[in-house]
Amino acid sequence: MTPRGRVLTGFLVAAVALFFVPALVEAADLPRFFVIFLFTTFFWIAQASSWNVLTGFSGYFSFGQGAWYGIGVYAVAVLTGKHGWSFIIALPVAGLAALVAGLGLGVVVFRLRRLTGEIFALTTLAIAFVLAALARLLPAIDGGTGVFMTGTPIPEFLGDFTTAMYRMALVIMILAVLAAYVTYSSRLGWGLFSIRDDESVAGGLGVPVFRYKMTALAINSFFAGLMGGVWSLQLGFVTVDDVFNIRVPLFVILMSVLGGLGHWMGPVVGAVIIFTLSDRLNSAGLTDVNQIIIGSLLVILALAVKEGVYVRMRDRWLTTVVTFFGVMAITTVFDLMGSLISDFAVAMVVTVLVLLVPDRLRERFRGSDDGPDQEEGPPVGMGAVAETGQ
Amino acid sequence: MRSHRWRYLAILTALAMVLAACGDDGEGGDTTAPAGADTTEAPTDTTEEPTDTTEEMTDTTGEASGDPIRIGGTLALTGFLAATGVIHEAVGKVFVERINEQGGLLGRPVEWVLLDDESLPENAAAAYERLITEDEVDLIIGPYGTGNITAAMAVAERYGYVFPHHTASLTYAYNYQCHFSSWSTGLHPNITNPNLIYDAIESSGNTPETIGFVINEFPGTMFIAYGQEGTDEGGAVAQAEERGYEVVLDVTFPTAITDWAPIAAQVADADPDFLYIGGLGVNASQLITAMQTIDYSPRGMFTQWPAPGPLLETEGADGIMSVTIFEEHPPFTDDPEAVEVAALINEALAEAGVPYTKVETQAAASWTAWEYLQQAAEGAGSLDQQAMCDWLIENGVSTLFHGDIEFFPEQQNYFEDLSKVKQIQDGEWYVVYPEEFAAPDRSVVYPRADS
Amino acid sequence: MGLLTQGIATGILIGGLYALMSLGISLSWGALKIINLAHFSFILLSAYLVYQITVSFEVDPLLTMAVVLPLFFVFGALMQMFFHRFEVDEFKSLIVTFGVFIILQSVMQTIWSADFRTIGPSLNIYRTSSIRIGGTALPIPSLMAFVAALLIAVAMSILLSRSYFGKAVRAVAQDAEMARAFGVDTNRVAVLLSGLSATFSALAGVFIAVGQQIFPGLAVSWFGIVFPVVILGGLGNTVGTLTAGVIVGVAAGVAAVMWAPLAAPLVTFLILIAALLFRPQGLLTSRSVA
Repeated sequence: MTPRGRVLTGFLVAAVALFFVPALVEAADLPRFFVIFLFTTFFWIAQASSWNVLTGFSGYFSFGQGAWYGIGVYAVAVLTGKHGWSFIIALPVAGLAALVAGLGLGVVVFRLRRLTGEIFALTTLAIAFVLAALARLLPAIDGGTGVFMTGTPIPEFLGDFTTAMYRMALVIMILAVLAAYVTYSSRLGWGLFSIRDDESVAGGLGVPVFRYKMTALAINSFFAGLMGGVWSLQLGFVTVDDVFNIRVPLFVILMSVLGGLGHWMGPVVGAVIIFTLSDRLNSAGLTDVNQIIIGSLLVILALAVKEGVYVRMRDRWLTTVVTFFGVMAITTVFDLMGSLISDFAVAMVVTVLVLLVPDRLRERFRGSDDGPDQEEGPPVGMGAVAETGQ
Repeated sequence: MRSHRWRYLAILTALAMVLAACGDDGEGGDTTAPAGADTTEAPTDTTEEPTDTTEEMTDTTGEASGDPIRIGGTLALTGFLAATGVIHEAVGKVFVERINEQGGLLGRPVEWVLLDDESLPENAAAAYERLITEDEVDLIIGPYGTGNITAAMAVAERYGYVFPHHTASLTYAYNYQCHFSSWSTGLHPNITNPNLIYDAIESSGNTPETIGFVINEFPGTMFIAYGQEGTDEGGAVAQAEERGYEVVLDVTFPTAITDWAPIAAQVADADPDFLYIGGLGVNASQLITAMQTIDYSPRGMFTQWPAPGPLLETEGADGIMSVTIFEEHPPFTDDPEAVEVAALINEALAEAGVPYTKVETQAAASWTAWEYLQQAAEGAGSLDQQAMCDWLIENGVSTLFHGDIEFFPEQQNYFEDLSKVKQIQDGEWYVVYPEEFAAPDRSVVYPRADS
Repeated sequence: MGLLTQGIATGILIGGLYALMSLGISLSWGALKIINLAHFSFILLSAYLVYQITVSFEVDPLLTMAVVLPLFFVFGALMQMFFHRFEVDEFKSLIVTFGVFIILQSVMQTIWSADFRTIGPSLNIYRTSSIRIGGTALPIPSLMAFVAALLIAVAMSILLSRSYFGKAVRAVAQDAEMARAFGVDTNRVAVLLSGLSATFSALAGVFIAVGQQIFPGLAVSWFGIVFPVVILGGLGNTVGTLTAGVIVGVAAGVAAVMWAPLAAPLVTFLILIAALLFRPQGLLTSRSVA
C-alpha cells in the first residue's frame, strides 16, 4: 500500500472504531461522561486542525477562528431558534455562511499589495469584534437578548442528545482532519508551504498564490463554522459575550503550537493534550492553577519546542509508546487516579515531559548542539511572512 | 553552550514551579469544599486530597456518619461573573459547614463538589454532565448567572435531577418540571418588578413626569426593561408609559462598555425626572461617576442588579434605589437565626477577601437554594430525585430569608414576586418599600436629597 | 448641540487615555519587534498597586507614581533581557506574552479577588471633579491622562528624532544587525526602551485607578481599543498614537451619542479596517521609529 493509502485506511479504521465508542461505553457500564469528553475533544480537534490549514501551512497568523466559529453558532441559532428551520438544514448553512465570510475577507485582504503578516492577524482580530458589535446591534441576529437553543429538536436517527452530538462532532472532526491531511499531502500543501517560506519566490515559481491562500482560508472558515453550528446545541443559550470571546482563538493557537504547526497531525495531538489536561484540572477544582499552567505552557513551549510535540513523538515513537502505555498500565491497574480519563491525562503528561526534558538533557550530555530543533522545516513566523509581503 | 544551559535551567525551573504550584493548591485548597483532585472515589485514595476534608469529616460532632452525601455544582469562580460567583461560594461553604455541624443530611455528612465554570455556559454544561455521569454526585445545585444556569438546567433535565438555582433571570424560558428558583422574582418580573419600583417612587408623594432608561444589553436586564422578545407583554418602558410617565431617553449599552461619558451626556441632556438604570455590577457606579464629572445629578435613580459595595463608595450615589430580598436591619433581623447566619456569611465573605460583606439579594438567594435541597431530601426521606421533586411541589419550603414558599407548577414552579425596594440613605442601604419591610423610620426619598 | 460638544470633548480626553494605554505597546512593537500583550496586565497591575498603596497608607493616589513607575521600568527592562536571552521574535513574542498575560491575570485575581476595587471618595478627590469651559465639562482624571499622553508623545517624538538615543532606536528598529555592526549597543537601547514602554503603561494604570473601578476582567476589554489605536497610529509613532487615540475616542463618543453606545465598537473597528486597507503604514508616516 502507498503511504497515502495507509493513512486513508487509518482514517477509515479510526472513524469506524470511534463510531462504536458510545455503544461500548454503554455496554461496559462506563460513565457517560466519556462520550461527552470525547465529543468535546473532537470539537477542539476540528477547530485546531482547520486553523492549522491556514496558519500552520501558509504562515498567515489568524485570530479569526472565533469569528468563523461565531458565525456558525449564530447561523444555526438564528435559523432554528428564530425562524424554525430544522437543524439538519441549518447546519450546512452555518458552514457555508462562515465560508462566504472567510472568502469575503480573503478577497479584500489578499489583494492588498502591502499586506503583511501582522496586518492580516489584526484584521482577523478586528473581524470578530465587528461581528460581535453587529450581533448586538441587530435584533434579527441577537440584539442583546440571547437566543435559546434548548427547544431545538435534533433529528431522531442521530440518537439521544449526547449520542447525536457525538456522531455529528465525530463526522465533522474526521472530515476536518482529512481535509488537513489531503491539503498537506497534495500540491496545494506544497504551494502553501512555499508561500510560508517566501511568498514572492513561490509566486515566481508559478504557485497560484492568491488562489491557494483563498483555498486555505475557505477550508479553515468552513470547518470552524460547521463545528460552531453543532456547538450551538451544546451552548443551549447563545449570547454574544459567550460566543465572540478570545477562548476559541486562544485555545486553537495553544493546541496547534503545542502539537506542532505545519504538520497535519500536530493540532490533533495538541488538542487532545490541552483539552484533557484542562478538563482534568477543572474537574479537580484547580481552575486557578489551570490558568497558570496554560500560561506557563504557552511560554515554555514557544521558547523550547519549535517543532511541536507530534514530531517528537514520531521521531521517538518507541519511547512514546512505552512511556504512555507503561504509565497508563500502572495507573489503571493500581487505580491511582480513580478514572480512566485521569489515567489517560497522567500518562499523557508524563509522556510529554519524557519527550521534552530528557531529550534535551541527553543532547547536552552528548555535547552536540545540533538537536532536533533544526531538523524540521523552517519555523513559521510572522516575521518571515512580514518580509515576504513587501 | 552557555546560553543553552541557561535555557534548560529556566525550562526545568518553570516546570518545577508549575508542578509545585499544582501541589500547593491541592494541599491548601478550598476550606470546606473538598473538590479534591479526584472525586469519583472515597477521599482517602487521592494523592492531592485537601487535608481539610478529613478535619471537616471528623469535627461533625459524631452525629453525621456513613458515606458523605455529595452535592455537585459549578460557580463562576473566574471570568467576568466571578465578582458575584465568589459570594455564592462563600455562602455555600457556610451552609455545608453548618449542616455538618448540625448532624448532616439524613444523618450523613455533606460534601460539596464545587467546580469552576469560568463564567462560560458551555463549561457549566460539561461540568454538570461530568458531575452527574462521572462523579455520580447524589444531588446538584445550580451555578451562578443566567447563561450558565440555562445551560446546566438542560443537563439536569436530561438526567432528571432536582435543580435548585438562585439567579436565573429569563423566567419565561424555564419549564423543566423539577427546577426551583430561589430568586423571588416571580414568573413575570418584567411586569412585577418595574411596577414595584414605580409604586415605591410614588409612595413618596411625588410622581415623576419624565423617565429615562439606560439599559445593559444583557439578556436579563433586557427582559425586565423591554419584556419578552416576540411578545408585547410587560417591560419597564411599557409600564412607565402606561402610568403616563413620558419616556425621554431610552439607550442600551454593551456589557463590555469602557467609556461612560457619552451616555452621561445624553442623560444630562434629556434630564429625566427619574433615571432607570438596567445595569449590572458596577454599571450604575460608573454612570454616576461619569455624570458627576459633568456636574449632573439626577433627581431620582434606580439600578437593577448592582454590586452593592462599590455603590456605597460612589460619590453622588446617595438616594439610588434597587431591588433586594434581605438586608441586615429590622424587620429582617428580628429572626435570631437570620442574624446568626448573616454573621457567619459576613465572616466567610471577609475571609474570601470580598470588600462588601453584608447579606443581600445574592447571598440570600444562594442560601435559599441550599435550603430547598436540604428540606427536599429530609422531607422525601431519601435522595430519590423524583420523590424530592414531588415533595417540593407538594409541600413548599420554609426558608430563612424568604419565609414560607410554595411552588406553583402552573407557574413553572415560580412563587410570587417577593422583591423589596432598597435605597441608599446616609451612606447605607435600607429597605424602604413596601412599608411593612421598611427599616425603622425609613421611607422612600424622592427626589434625592442632593439633586 | 451641547450634547455633541460634550461628546466630542470627553471623546478627545478619553482618547488621551487610550493613547497612553497604547504608547508602550506601540513603541515595543515598532522598535523592538515585540508584540507585548503583557502590557495589558501591566496597566491593570499598576492600577491595583496604586489602589493598594493608596488604601493601605492613605496617601494621595497620584503620589504612588513615585513607587509604581520605577517598579514597572524595572519590569519592562527585565522582560526585554528575557526576550533577548531567548531570542524571541515577533511571532513568538505574541505567544510568550500571551502566556505571561494569562499568568498575571490569574495572579491578580488570586490576590485581589474577582470583586470590584475602588479608591473611595475620601482618598480620591479627583474622580468626580471637573473643569468647566463654557457649558462643557472636562473630567479631571481623563484630562490628566490626556495631558500626560500629550507630554509623552511630544517628548518621545523629539527624543526619537533629535537625540543619539533616538537615532540608536531607529537604527535598531530598521536593522538591528546593521546597528550592532556600527557599534550601537543594541541591547542597552532595547532594554531602556522596553523599560520606558512599561512605565508608560503603568502611568495609564495610575489614571485608571484614579478614574474608575478596577477588576480582573478589565484587561481583556482593553484589547478592542488599544489595538485599533496602535495600528491606526502607526507602530512606534508616538504622535500618531495620540492622534489615533483621539480619533477613536471622538468617533466612538459621537457614535454613542448620535447613534447608540452599541455602535461605538463597530465604528472603531470599521475605522481600523479602513485604515488597514488604505493606510497600513499608519496615519502619519513621518517620525515613526519603524
